Amino acid sequence: MKLNDDQKMMLDGGRGEGARIAMEMIVAIANVYGAEDLIPIKSAHCAGLSLKSHGLAGMRWVEDMAAKGARVVVPTTMNVVGVDRSRDLGLPKDWVEPQMRIEKGYEAMGCFGTSSCVPYYYSFLPKFGEHIAWAESSAVVFTNSVLGARDNREGGPSAWAAGVTGYTPNYGLHLDENRRGGIRFDITCDINGIADYGAMGNFIGKMVGEKIPVLVGLDKFKPTTEELVYMGAAMASAGGVAMFHAVGVTPEAPTVEAAFGGIKDYDTVEFGKKELEQGYHNLTCGKSRDVDFVAIGCPHMSLNQVRQIAEMLDGKHIKDDVTMWVHTNMAIKAMARELGYLQKIEDAGAVLTQDLCVVLSCPEVLGFHTLATQSPKMAFYAPGNNGFDVWYGSEEKCVKAALTGRWED
Amino acid sequence: MSKTVNCRVVSKGVAEGEALVCSKPIGFNFGVDIPTGKIIEHGHELEGISIKDKVLIFPYGKGSTGGSYVVYQVAVEGTGPAAIINLNTEVIIACGAIMGGIPVVDHMEENPYDIIENGDWVKVDAVNGTVTITKKGEN
Repeated sequence: MKLNDDQKMMLDGGRGEGARIAMEMIVAIANVYGAEDLIPIKSAHCAGLSLKSHGLAGMRWVEDMAAKGARVVVPTTMNVVGVDRSRDLGLPKDWVEPQMRIEKGYEAMGCFGTSSCVPYYYSFLPKFGEHIAWAESSAVVFTNSVLGARDNREGGPSAWAAGVTGYTPNYGLHLDENRRGGIRFDITCDINGIADYGAMGNFIGKMVGEKIPVLVGLDKFKPTTEELVYMGAAMASAGGVAMFHAVGVTPEAPTVEAAFGGIKDYDTVEFGKKELEQGYHNLTCGKSRDVDFVAIGCPHMSLNQVRQIAEMLDGKHIKDDVTMWVHTNMAIKAMARELGYLQKIEDAGAVLTQDLCVVLSCPEVLGFHTLATQSPKMAFYAPGNNGFDVWYGSEEKCVKAALTGRWED
Repeated sequence: MSKTVNCRVVSKGVAEGEALVCSKPIGFNFGVDIPTGKIIEHGHELEGISIKDKVLIFPYGKGSTGGSYVVYQVAVEGTGPAAIINLNTEVIIACGAIMGGIPVVDHMEENPYDIIENGDWVKVDAVNGTVTITKKGEN
């Protein structure tokens, strides 16, 4: 593999021990994937920052790297963690303290402690064709598919190493030939609202594994950015999807031919009502219709989504024995506070969280049993990860469940 | 009589120990118990067996990328393998081993499953890219 003088200098320890370890990691990954060289990146996004992933040893590693002088050299954001630094949600002290130390460790290395899965909603917007090294599978899908940036499914350590060195191995979705579609889906049913997009994403992700799906017929529904975020998050959690094309919607798919890059030999699958229902079915494992926990906003909600929830809750109050978390980040929450949406949500007895999400935190210690969510990603992970029974459906159904304590179809 | 075979270096370092051969991939996240180094994946061929201080031979890693931190954690706790030999190392193992300083090699010029058995004494030189095997009972 070819290394330039800058890269060799880092590998020899010329930028300190932290950068040397990071470069060793980048070179090892390049070798594993047979990359011929390393390419400069414009930004990085570190994930796997939850205490669930790091453990106490991981926490010490982060602090050790910070002490060894590792510093990021490109704008590097931090993913969702397991606590909300702005408030006490009742989580145990031995969870909160080490989690905060992990965050401080990354911040000491120059990362932005904005702790969210959607940095593209505030200040960090990769542009078309730009090489980046973002972890967080939902963000990988979004940046590749909707923005046309070039990103592989980075893991926590590899995105960190890319941020510290400023380089990533040149393989996978950084190369034109790997961005072509692999399987076609003809959408023949109506797709309405974010929950439909999530259910569709789940079905497709489960079916295609790591192939790039090409969606034909989605353009007539004119999906919103948020709907594409949720569809991508569903694909990435149910499968290994790192990119999709939607013909007439995403920038590298003006036509079916362009999406497949000239390949004509591909399978076509019809996606109709039956398949959509299957997606919903995959995401639902509720037993009791008595809901004690409602959590929405995975990926974190945009300002528009937060306002919609505020309007649905305006002047109402959620049921006494139900807890409702609405997930977003510090940027969107600050705007929601200024604009009065936060007040409406809090007056209704719900919590607008920042920094965290159900999957990467430990709300199970608070004693909840049955979760209602509009998130296809939370619905996928929460049964195994948090031990919850899950009802999956639209925002309207989730808000209704919070107000009444009952899930209704 | 020992035998030395060339290989590719993934994570630098030199270590030796008793061989523990595993024919199946290993997922470290939720698959290895950090305080003991025992494999805890239900139904795994090494379930209940500790990887501590062994030269661990397995084809490649599997599971979530959080596995890197577990590889690192067992290295720090002293319950991890002395060294790792893979057929093809993937990113989870590579990153975790570099973080924890565990020597890792792959792409041996001879198939490790043909020439290494449980209990052989194996030295992994992940600086010069060699694996030296002394058969059980000969050391």
